[in-house]
Amino acid sequence: MGAAAAGESRSAAGRRGARGSGAQGSGARRSGGRRSGARGSGWHAYLFVAPSLFGVLAFLLLPMVIVLVLSLFDWELLSDPQFVGLDNYRRLAGDGQTWHSLWVTVAYVLLCIPLQTVLALALALGLNRRVKGVRIYRSLFVVPWMATPIALGLIWNWIFDPRDGALNSALALIGITGPDWLSDPAWALPAVALVSVWQQTGYNMLFFLAGLQGIPRELHDAAATDGATTAQRFWRVTLPLLNPTMFFVTVTNLIGAFQVFDTVYAMTDGGPGRSTEVINFRIYQTAFKEFDFGYAATLSTVLFLIIFVVTMAQVRFFGKRTTYDLS
Amino acid sequence: MAKRILVHTALAIGAFVSVFPYLLVVLTAFKTQAQLSSTHPWLPGTPPTADNLAEVFAGDFPRFLLNTAVMTAVLTAGQLVFTTFAAYAFARLRFRGRDVLFWLFVATMMVPSAVTMIPLFLIMRELDLVNTWYGLLVPYVLGTPYGIFLMRQFFKSLPAGLEEAARIDGAGALTILMRVMLPLCRPALGTLAIITVISSWNSFLWPLIITSGDDTKVITVALATLKIGIGVDYNLMMAGSLIALVPMVAVFIFFQRHIVRSVVLTGLK
Repeated sequence: MGAAAAGESRSAAGRRGARGSGAQGSGARRSGGRRSGARGSGWHAYLFVAPSLFGVLAFLLLPMVIVLVLSLFDWELLSDPQFVGLDNYRRLAGDGQTWHSLWVTVAYVLLCIPLQTVLALALALGLNRRVKGVRIYRSLFVVPWMATPIALGLIWNWIFDPRDGALNSALALIGITGPDWLSDPAWALPAVALVSVWQQTGYNMLFFLAGLQGIPRELHDAAATDGATTAQRFWRVTLPLLNPTMFFVTVTNLIGAFQVFDTVYAMTDGGPGRSTEVINFRIYQTAFKEFDFGYAATLSTVLFLIIFVVTMAQVRFFGKRTTYDLS
Repeated sequence: MAKRILVHTALAIGAFVSVFPYLLVVLTAFKTQAQLSSTHPWLPGTPPTADNLAEVFAGDFPRFLLNTAVMTAVLTAGQLVFTTFAAYAFARLRFRGRDVLFWLFVATMMVPSAVTMIPLFLIMRELDLVNTWYGLLVPYVLGTPYGIFLMRQFFKSLPAGLEEAARIDGAGALTILMRVMLPLCRPALGTLAIITVISSWNSFLWPLIITSGDDTKVITVALATLKIGIGVDYNLMMAGSLIALVPMVAVFIFFQRHIVRSVVLTGLK
């Protein structure tokens, strides 16, 4: 009975909504809001938000504050924390191992981000041509995305196995002797980055495809009538209109790539040598293997700053070209 | 015509590359140690053997699977409940400080988990929750800013004035949310659930840090120790990986339209 009543009021409300939908945008919302405010819906709004707000404050913002404060301390858990001012940051300046990790991270990001973005866009452009079997292709492309990264790491270890692995066996068929991939310092990082490309490309493709499908056909037709070539249409029409998607994909991918951990842990454990020791791996080692929590907090702060600066740079870069509706 | 073939070839190659590691896992998980070196990696072992799976299942793996299922269920339930309430308030109720609070939430989407893991561990240590179920679940059970963002987008897409009729009938905000809004939210909730199930099931770093005993060990952590424990016994590792992957593949096959919808829901055009 409850459901029926709800259904009835839903359809009534739907009709009313439809009637006013033209001018509804801001005006109706505002007046509706005022009315509900006048009825004193305030307190349960706070009640609704309270648990999530507590979560954000206690498990996201408080930790941020702790990291900043802790980065000024020396603490190995057993004794009391010692205030050391900026010593940890001074130590960081001369810490070759950390600089190496930062460099490895940047190299990793540069290896995977451009590739997984361009490939995703290419696949989306292919699927957007209304080829047969779009749905099947789309599903298959997304299959890598939901794979457990730790399982993935093990699987790719096996694929990259120099002797019996699937990759070198396949390469042998066409007469190429593959490298030792994960035990070769020159190939280990590209191999790990390749796994990220494999996992992320299909999911990125979904976003690009949605973006492409949002571009009005008339724009392309108009450009074609004006004599624009396919390439010109891509650079002048498609790409600019994909800016919001490009922004979202690159921002989320970059934030993820700077923190890569699972695949490195499962595939190389930072090795061979230190050739795949990305910064997040180094932070983990510093905190949970060396119990140097103060310094690990310093490294975390630096990682946060890097991610923050890179994200803000993207906001500025894309901000001039896009309007992203958060209202 | 030639172009059409070219596009199809490229797409087919992409599809094959996307899927082949899964095929290899299946092939390898059913090979014996001897077949591993005697057969080609791209060909199945004959006869296939279930010994690897049996061996993995004979150990503590079923328990770790159960732990993972419990963790996934709790985190997903928490995400659905708390996120729905908050997102509804942000999207459809008006209260002082709403916009500021929402921007705070959006901003925290940028806070990397790599940065919060150390303080979270220290907080849990202070509360004596290291190596407990509480420690494992508490930081993530209240939902994520991303989930709130997603659900808010959905709530905003519903027609304005939807609540009016119910309100005129004297229904409170809770009744409206439960009776009017929730039935409409099923698709969005499905999407949020799938995303949360996948990310919880796959989570590794936090469980690795916060748990150490078998009581709370999840499958990802167990898989990682499988590697250290037995060196390069690939068929066992593949059997373990297969067990970890199968539930997600099943989820994917049955609910993939929800994953596609998550993309549409972020509101990017």
